[in-house]
Amino acid sequence: MIARSHQLQRVDGPIPILLLTVALAWLALIIGAPLVTVLTEALSKGLETFLATYKEPDALAAIRLTLIVAAIAVPLNCAFGLAAAWSIAKFDFQGKALLLTIIDLPLSMSPVVSGLVWVLLFGARGWFGHDLDVAGIKIIFALPGIVLGTIIVTVPLIARELIPLMTEQGVDEELAATSLGAGGWTVFRRVTLPNIRWALLHGVLLCNARAMGEFGAVSVLSGHIRGMTETLPLHVESLYNDYDFVGAFAAATLLAGLAVVTLVAKTVLEQLIRAASTQKPA
Amino acid sequence: MTHILTHLQPSRRGVLAAAARGSALIAAPSLLGGVAQAASPLTLLNVSYDPTRELYKDINAAFGGYWKSKTGQAVTINQSHSGSGASARAVIDGLQADVVTLALAGDIDEIALRAKLLPANWQSRLPNNSTPYTSTVVFLTHKGNPWKIHDWGDLLKPGISVITSNPKTSGGGRWAYLAAYAYGLSKGGDAAARDYITRLYQTVPVLDTGARGSTTTFAKRGLGDVLLCWENEAYLTIGEFGPNFQIVYPSRSIYAEPPVAVVDKNVDRHKTRALAEAYLNFLYTPVAQDIIGKHHFRPILPAAKAKYASGFKQIPMVTVNDTFGGWTKASKIHFADGGLFDKLYKPS
Amino acid sequence: MTLTIDGIFKQFGQFPALAGVSLEARDGEFLSLLGPSGSGKTTLLRVLAGLDKPDHGCVFLDGVDFLALSARERRIGLVFQQYALFRHMTVAKNIAFGLEVRPRRSRPSAAAIKARVEELLALTQIEGLGGRYPAQLSGGQRQRVAVARALAVEPRLLLLDEPFGALDAKVRKELRGELRRIHDATGVTTILVTHDQEEAMDLADRVVLMNQGRIEQIGSPAELDQTPASPFVFTFLGETNRLNCEVLSGYARFDGFAAPVVTPARPADGKAEALFRPEDTRLDGGAHAEGLPVRIVEIHGRGSLRLIECQALSGHRLTAELPETLAAQFEVGQRVRLAARRVVLASGAGETVAGDPVKLVAAKGPAATSAI
Repeated sequence: MIARSHQLQRVDGPIPILLLTVALAWLALIIGAPLVTVLTEALSKGLETFLATYKEPDALAAIRLTLIVAAIAVPLNCAFGLAAAWSIAKFDFQGKALLLTIIDLPLSMSPVVSGLVWVLLFGARGWFGHDLDVAGIKIIFALPGIVLGTIIVTVPLIARELIPLMTEQGVDEELAATSLGAGGWTVFRRVTLPNIRWALLHGVLLCNARAMGEFGAVSVLSGHIRGMTETLPLHVESLYNDYDFVGAFAAATLLAGLAVVTLVAKTVLEQLIRAASTQKPA
Repeated sequence: MTHILTHLQPSRRGVLAAAARGSALIAAPSLLGGVAQAASPLTLLNVSYDPTRELYKDINAAFGGYWKSKTGQAVTINQSHSGSGASARAVIDGLQADVVTLALAGDIDEIALRAKLLPANWQSRLPNNSTPYTSTVVFLTHKGNPWKIHDWGDLLKPGISVITSNPKTSGGGRWAYLAAYAYGLSKGGDAAARDYITRLYQTVPVLDTGARGSTTTFAKRGLGDVLLCWENEAYLTIGEFGPNFQIVYPSRSIYAEPPVAVVDKNVDRHKTRALAEAYLNFLYTPVAQDIIGKHHFRPILPAAKAKYASGFKQIPMVTVNDTFGGWTKASKIHFADGGLFDKLYKPS
Repeated sequence: MTLTIDGIFKQFGQFPALAGVSLEARDGEFLSLLGPSGSGKTTLLRVLAGLDKPDHGCVFLDGVDFLALSARERRIGLVFQQYALFRHMTVAKNIAFGLEVRPRRSRPSAAAIKARVEELLALTQIEGLGGRYPAQLSGGQRQRVAVARALAVEPRLLLLDEPFGALDAKVRKELRGELRRIHDATGVTTILVTHDQEEAMDLADRVVLMNQGRIEQIGSPAELDQTPASPFVFTFLGETNRLNCEVLSGYARFDGFAAPVVTPARPADGKAEALFRPEDTRLDGGAHAEGLPVRIVEIHGRGSLRLIECQALSGHRLTAELPETLAAQFEVGQRVRLAARRVVLASGAGETVAGDPVKLVAAKGPAATSAI
């Protein structure tokens, strides 16, 4: 997963330099330019207008909803990711390949489809729609639906991070710990978890970024009720459609900021993973 | 389940407050959703279509004042805007709309037909076919009309590209399609109309799913030479983007009737029928009609009509009922899967 | 701690990994489970460690039903081929782990744990490495840590699964001696799983030779060497010459010589195939010597020993191992007489050979003797 620098060649000669230049230019074009655009648009009518966006009750509600959704979806996916990676890496069972495929499914599926699946199940005209209606339980166009949509889209992120690592590490350390008298929880806490902590954090980080930034699936499930079921990305779209470009880009700045923070944290974490994988003392 | 949560304030943030407090209740996240409607007797959800965003922002403020002065209660109107078809679909799938204010009767018919949330005769319940404002389809061109586009025929001039939205998903797109079709009919019956539609949609480089998307495509992204759009949307664009654009009225267009309706099953469940009916009736009051005119929708009350007459050029307009035999028929022939639009639309 | 294993069966799908294994380890004994891969030795170790449950059979340790205990409750020391050290803990922490995870009531004090760690570091001769992380140690050092960690809990049984498999030959030899010394110092009943017959024979009080889920023979290294219970045991433990013979009254008669039959004890008379070691093979260049006429085709060195490859008139190739001093008299191309001092019967009048001994011998090294 992580290249070790001592195994790489030095950049030398015209072709590597050309490739490097192309790669950097491409990055600048597709990542740098949009970031700059977002910022310039957001500040085009001054700092006052920019800041005013965040005082809007609808914007605050969208931020709050986004945080709540992430606060529910990320821990659930964390628990699931750990359980799935654990069973896949440490046990042999029938249907393992199927489980792996299913975990990967959201990666290859359009988020819109991930959203529509829940509408099909829980929508008023869906399979369980009538029963839910009778029970007075609302899922679609409410918080549970948004959380479900977010979870399905982000489900592979943590599991995918852990499976290869835990597979590589095998079960010997756990067996050794068990034979030394450690219980299941102790083994997990003192042996398994420390071995995967950086990868887990890495996965949580990616999962969180995606959960907060998810648009497609959430858009299908949200109902777009202002101030109630709009997450930050949906709010950006709404503001954009309102011709409130400053507002839209100001809100988008938050999302871009999240991306930058994620990027920095990710880089730091990868350094730590690298240190951990060469097993030097932390 | 509701009684557990009755301590929650019936505010518009009810769902969020509940979620915030209940986020530990992960085991039963569905509880949280169940609260939203039951705990908020004084909120109303208006599910509408894209170009009414600005209109209802003002209407809701006015209604809030009106209701407060009449009953002393504060009321919050929540808005959900999408393409008209998408909005109807969401209500069918369970979006808890108290009232729907959509782009065309056909979309509300779908709600009545598929989800049976309101009776089939809903359109007869409010004045003027439940249509408190009307509009039409106009052209928006760049300033000075450089391509000299004056009528439907000019849209087929070589090199012109037209921006409009997808009639399969967008109310505005449907009205534009029908207006164009009606123009074709006037030139030589169905055959001419089909030919005109075929050639017109070949000039469309981007077919957005909603009217607002088309407007952004044209005005913000600068694609295309002419935008077929709602009259109010055209005025709004000029208001937002200044004098870069100008409105062109074709020789004839269509009489667009965006209707409104109370969603019976939902208001009965939320116990908001009185409020919902008052809200829609409010649209017919002079105060609301004035706001409607201000937002470039065509009012129906004579006073407001007269006040804003200068803004609305009078041109011959066909109606869906007279020219297309009503929405049910028009939808079936033109917009259903495998219908006429599907047959004629061949992206170049 | 006396370990009694009685009638263990374990099947994986259609494959019988253990087909009725019974044995007893005496208190403080060092046993080696030796056998080719797939012989069931690792499965037996996993059953003892509580990682696999047998289909049938029982295991008792000092009369206590061992199978009723979970892996966690068995208090055994486990040492793996790949060390399985906790990579994020220091050496000292690794060794202390088994003590620190004990319930508060039975947990030694921090000072006691520290003292125990020091004691084990000294025992395994890695004093001063307590503060290091596993990644900072050599393979041999890591395995010493693994042994120290396993011994920290004062195990009732020490199980080692191919503990030297990942080490180079020199370190392997050195650690072998260390392990025996540590065993003698602690007196813990020890079971070592290995496929290396030299390692097993060097270390163990008794060797349990397994094949196809069964025990072929249990005995001291000398017993296995001198009186192999089966042709399999014989071929597995060393390089083997093969020659057809006629058995008569406990002697195998060949073309030009006869030799006593060691296994089976009372061989039936008749035709048979005889197996014998290169080191039990004599060569004689004298004109009137007894033996099978052969021609020397190759001589290669091995320390102070020489391997002399010979070809019989029938085309069979046979190998003799002679001290360098004796070998000096022979040269390639010379016609000599070959005879065996003692033989084991492979088939015919004796027992049939289990498996494919040729392949098993060949797998043990390039110097393996080809046959027939």
